[in-house]
Amino acid sequence: MGTAEEKSIFSSYVKKDGLFDEVFDKKGEVKSVYKKLLDLYGTRTIDDYVELNNKAKSSFFNQGITFQVYGDKQSQEKIFPFDLFPRIISTEEWETIEKGAIQRNIALNHFLWDVYHDKKIIKDKVVPIELLSSSPNYLHQMMNVDPPNKIYNHISGTDIIKHSDGNYYVLEDNIRCPSGVSYVICNRTALKRALFGVFNHYQTHSVTNYAENLLHLLETAKPHGVDMPVTVVITPGMFNSAYYEHSYLAKAMGVELVEGRDLFVENDFVYMKTTQGPVRVDVVYRRIDDLFLDPMEFSPDSALGVPGIFAAYRKGNVTLANAPGTGVADDKAIYTYMPEIIKYYLDEEPILKNVHTYHCSRPQELQYVLDNIKDLVIKPVDEAGGYGISIGNRLTKDEIERVKSEVKANPRKYVAQPIMSLSVHPTYIDQKESFEQRHVDLRTFTVLGKDEQFVLKGGLTRVALKEGNLIVNSSQGGGSKDTWVLKP
Amino acid sequence: MRVWRKNSSTTDAFLSNLARLKFTRMLYEYEIDYDTRNSYEMGLNEAFWQFLVIPEENDTQELTYWHFENDLDEKNSVSENGLGFKTVQVRSKKELDHIKFNAHFKLTKKEINPFDFDLPLDIDEERKLVDSLDFRVDHEPYLRKTKFTQLLEEHTSIYLFDKKKSIFENLTELNHWAYNHLYFKTGVTDVNTSLDEIIENRHGVCQDFTHLFCAIAKHHGVPARYVSGYLHQGHGFFGDSQMHAWAEAFVPNVGWIGFDPTNNVLANHNHIKVCHGKDYTDCAPLKGVVYTLGKNETEYSVSVKAAQQQ
Repeated sequence: MGTAEEKSIFSSYVKKDGLFDEVFDKKGEVKSVYKKLLDLYGTRTIDDYVELNNKAKSSFFNQGITFQVYGDKQSQEKIFPFDLFPRIISTEEWETIEKGAIQRNIALNHFLWDVYHDKKIIKDKVVPIELLSSSPNYLHQMMNVDPPNKIYNHISGTDIIKHSDGNYYVLEDNIRCPSGVSYVICNRTALKRALFGVFNHYQTHSVTNYAENLLHLLETAKPHGVDMPVTVVITPGMFNSAYYEHSYLAKAMGVELVEGRDLFVENDFVYMKTTQGPVRVDVVYRRIDDLFLDPMEFSPDSALGVPGIFAAYRKGNVTLANAPGTGVADDKAIYTYMPEIIKYYLDEEPILKNVHTYHCSRPQELQYVLDNIKDLVIKPVDEAGGYGISIGNRLTKDEIERVKSEVKANPRKYVAQPIMSLSVHPTYIDQKESFEQRHVDLRTFTVLGKDEQFVLKGGLTRVALKEGNLIVNSSQGGGSKDTWVLKP
Repeated sequence: MRVWRKNSSTTDAFLSNLARLKFTRMLYEYEIDYDTRNSYEMGLNEAFWQFLVIPEENDTQELTYWHFENDLDEKNSVSENGLGFKTVQVRSKKELDHIKFNAHFKLTKKEINPFDFDLPLDIDEERKLVDSLDFRVDHEPYLRKTKFTQLLEEHTSIYLFDKKKSIFENLTELNHWAYNHLYFKTGVTDVNTSLDEIIENRHGVCQDFTHLFCAIAKHHGVPARYVSGYLHQGHGFFGDSQMHAWAEAFVPNVGWIGFDPTNNVLANHNHIKVCHGKDYTDCAPLKGVVYTLGKNETEYSVSVKAAQQQ
């Protein structure tokens, strides 16, 4: 154990002005929730930390918790970068997040029911019709289909940030096939192994109960007349970047992990091929996008899906979670109407704030965007995973012109938002062997069931590992942190 | 498919014909056969086929008999597609190199009188209604432009609606225009031919006429959908033929009216509807998933016989 002052953990930590630090307040004092942790870590040196961190990392490799980046064919599987300094969220702050996430996802579910039935919100001119008519994710095959318990977005991933004003804002809603929950659980496992002593000093909510809650709430949506439902997780296969998660969740729920070719449909019922013969499947947690779900109904050349499964779903013989067609609400343009959507269906004010958004489809807002592009983030409306985002103050002159002409050519395709200053968190940086401020966000996981909801008390704190970078997706070089939600 | 006639009837002649028929309410009985053979060069062990060939049951069509047969000794299961039309599904796990499938139907068809409605709305009122938000919301699926029904910017003025005329008159004239604008020619287009190629080359088959009609109607704010079905080629005449395609457009205060731009007529008792959709993609008579390499060949034929008339 070292004693020299310069080797202590935060000796070289630089607190930049204007950034909201999760651990230190404006005066540089440690915030109350982190005090105990810093006291404990404070007795250690950076070398102790490095040693522990390396052990934790090798445990990730050994467990096979890896991912691969799309479009980078040469790349090897990587481990999700991770460090041993957790993010801590107080009981009170969490209460707001949890209530806000439930409110939002229930409102989104109402919205989905409405756009696939009476479309009142459009007729009442709250949301423009163009957001439906121009959305490739608006599935006419879902029109007037009543999903079990009227639930579409069984599983939602709500991405939240803390801005430099200290308030939480929702950055986006992921209600197609949100991923990341397996990392939450693995981070916790790794941290518990490496730092079991530290856990004794904190009353932290468990995250390992996710799978049982997920299974329970999925099964509340079982088809009519089924007593003991058979649930499966369907994956596009081992080449999918989230394959680890699919297999983890299946294992943790105690259900089968299947690919499309393992299932078949006969007389509008879905069966799984097993060595004991066909077994009827009642609930499918599907991690395949709508387009590839059923070649009879959607993309005809999909080899990933199950031919006939949509007809079985429409008949109520199998439950698909999430329901097909949720993508219409998982859209950066719909996001911008969330305050209105919450008000419209729930008659409530949003508990979590929305980032102000400029719609390039509106002429006067388009002009503002073009004039102020330097201070804005420009996002394509329908690209997932952080692709295609331009951050105004990071662009060269040529890039600005290119973005401008692209926006002018396809205004409906883009929205713009002020550049949010994500809060920063001390993060261990390998190359420098020291802690530095890095921007973080928080993906929360909400599961809607019949008359009950579950929000995982924790979530995935994603870290933008490149200094100053604001995009935290793992495909864009982000890392993660264990996230502790404190019990009262 | 196109019916060859010595004189293509004008709308006026058609109108008077229908007016006469309104009082007789004739019933027509048809026997329809759909036969297909699909062969696979390399053979396969597992396959799934879905046939969208069953005539729809509606106000004018009643299915009195149906029978399906395949030569694989597999079940023919009736299901429904995403838009609610009946399909037949066949699944096989056997080693095979082809499938033969036959569907046989008997159907009673009532005379259609598209003029069996109250007086149309005032022309301005009608336009106002079509342009209203509620109307656009309710008919969004069939106002939406798809790959096959999206006019390129430079083609948007290829056919203009006359604001002084009712929507029905405009559609009838569009039907006539499309009939004259394209030359019926088989073998030059296929299911992947884009609308702009068709507009530029000015020839095609029934599905191309139908896509063109739908694209222009939608462009002028009138909901239009692609219809797939069988065409009876005339009194007492029968023979091998193919499936037919025509369009339905929504006329306020009236409902969906069938237009057959390939033949320059309104859909009538000779048009036996199977299904509708946004374009051909929603209505393909056969979709299959086969796990095999190599070439595959598809042949199919259709016969429509008028059994008797009352």
